[in-house]
Amino acid sequence: MSKISIPIGPQHPLLKEPLSMMVDISGERVLGASLRLGYVHRGIERLAQTRTYTQNVHLIERICGICSHIHTTTYCQAVEAVLGVEIPLRASYLRALMCELERVHSHLLWLGILAKHIGLDTIFMHAWHDRESVLDVMEEISGGRVLHAANQIGGVRFDIDHDHDSMIRSALKKLHEQVAGLLDVIENEPALIARTKGVAPVSPEVIKKYCVVGPMARASGVNVDMRRENPIPPYDQLDFSVVTHPDGDAWSRTYVRVEEIRVSLNLCESILEQLPEGPVNIRVPRRVPAGEVIIRSEAPRGELFYYLRSDGTDKPARLKVRTPTLAALSLLPEQLSAIHVADIPVVLAGVDLCVACADR
Amino acid sequence: MIEGLFYLLLFPGLVFQVVCGLGFEWVDRKLLALFQRRVGPPWYQPLADMIKLFGKEDLLPTQANDLIASLLPLISLSAVLTAGLYVPIAGFSPFSFEGDLIVILFLMSVPTLSYYLAGILSIGIYSVLGGGRSLLQYFSYEVPFLIALSGPAVAAGSWSVEGIMNAQFSLGSFILFQPLGFLLALIGLIGKLKRDPLDIPSAKSEVIGGSLTEYTGAKLAFWHLVMNVQAVVGIFLMINLFLGWTKFHNPAIALAVFVLEVLLITGVLSTTSAVFARLRIDQLAGFGWRILVPLSIAQLTFVILMGA
Repeated sequence: MSKISIPIGPQHPLLKEPLSMMVDISGERVLGASLRLGYVHRGIERLAQTRTYTQNVHLIERICGICSHIHTTTYCQAVEAVLGVEIPLRASYLRALMCELERVHSHLLWLGILAKHIGLDTIFMHAWHDRESVLDVMEEISGGRVLHAANQIGGVRFDIDHDHDSMIRSALKKLHEQVAGLLDVIENEPALIARTKGVAPVSPEVIKKYCVVGPMARASGVNVDMRRENPIPPYDQLDFSVVTHPDGDAWSRTYVRVEEIRVSLNLCESILEQLPEGPVNIRVPRRVPAGEVIIRSEAPRGELFYYLRSDGTDKPARLKVRTPTLAALSLLPEQLSAIHVADIPVVLAGVDLCVACADR
Repeated sequence: MIEGLFYLLLFPGLVFQVVCGLGFEWVDRKLLALFQRRVGPPWYQPLADMIKLFGKEDLLPTQANDLIASLLPLISLSAVLTAGLYVPIAGFSPFSFEGDLIVILFLMSVPTLSYYLAGILSIGIYSVLGGGRSLLQYFSYEVPFLIALSGPAVAAGSWSVEGIMNAQFSLGSFILFQPLGFLLALIGLIGKLKRDPLDIPSAKSEVIGGSLTEYTGAKLAFWHLVMNVQAVVGIFLMINLFLGWTKFHNPAIALAVFVLEVLLITGVLSTTSAVFARLRIDQLAGFGWRILVPLSIAQLTFVILMGA
């Protein structure tokens, strides 16, 4: 059969964010793919140099529409590190609580998208229904469903009281049951297994070669998690397991992410158990002394890297963000070869792209 | 003359089948919504969608032939409507004759072939892909579908749908003796209707809209109507061949039983599309030829041996 190129993107039902791919196919086989990026480039890194540190918290939050909290958390940690201040322990616990809730809703969103792509709309609807309860919790404690504006340099801008505590606990309990149901489907639904098992497997060597991070790496058996390797309080005091799976195919990526939801739910519970008393923020100076710092944290999609250089003014001299999606994108053309056309959605979903993060 | 026109245009012809088609779409969407914790559309939504589509601008790629593109959905629609005339509804079948099952099956293949042509002839990349897929899918489900549907005919000793339906009064519903055949026919029907989980030719995340990617406006509305009427005719056919018991002296009872059976099959179809993920085309071809065909032949052999 002759070779034809089909465009996927920048607008395509498959993509939630603009990204362009030309996929060469012959019949139902994919021969190769080329990638084009930059449709949502907003110049945020440059923009950050023209704004004060405080203003940047709100700018950075808008890098991503899913993992907005981890971006501000990492940014604030970077600024606090240059300032040399230590935030109250309660504040770091509350930050971690939001991070884990964010991971839960990000993974549920992802599961919905995968299910939608393989024509399992029921799971899509159920996963997104469950995700709403996480968003409700986040809205209740911070005031925002997606953009929470929860962080400030020197702590957090919200506190939780007894009512919040019981509300979160009941939501977590319900989520535990619903996630168990979803996991049951993933482990037993024959058509889902047929569509994902053995699809586009990635070996640990390839993962290391492309520096792929996060659930993608863990699904290939690479045991990497910034929460454990670079423990910023309170993760050094929390006990949690890192979920890995040796197969590296689309199914194991699904499994790892859904298991991670459970781990995160447990983490939320233990954060609530151990939540210390005290203030939730401290005052910090507007001007930041000269210096530079690298902060790495675990976003829902993997390692998030922030480099911040200060020249002693109230504006950063350079802010560099490396998001986990970037590494996954570089792996994409290799994955999109020698597969079926019908597997393109599965591969794309398995990577869990966040194009807005990668383009900034 | 007047009677003939009534049959053709009102019952069991055009109007009745279109209303049933839209009603089927609504019940299906509402059931799917229930499975997915949604509210679902109001009863007039399928009709509203049709009217809206008729009001939309009609566009086609410049290289595509507008006449053929318009004719294909109309040919398919007339084929399925004609097929519908021969399927007894609650025991009422004014045009029934010996061998009408063959005619119905032939007419019900016309939409699939038109769908393939629509994809190939409307030039777009995704439509060509979708068209090719629809033909591949046709080869996978059609053979077991036909063999499964010939089971009741052989058991009843008649190739008329009405004859098969009547035979079930004395022999009992064929679903009891040929549950496997019923299951295979149902899978074939899902494949024919391109419904989830066999919506491979029109999988949105893979080939956008499949063959119909380039279709807009009234032509697209006609295609939707073809799919809905085809579903209704398919369900009516399944009822007559496998469930039976729809002809009583009291038309009210006959209608009640008939509606009940229609809802039963619709429920099964909706449940199937809710709980299964879409198969890949190679998986479907393997499934069709390695599993469905041997099973359907085994079923037919069993029926023939039982009858002998």
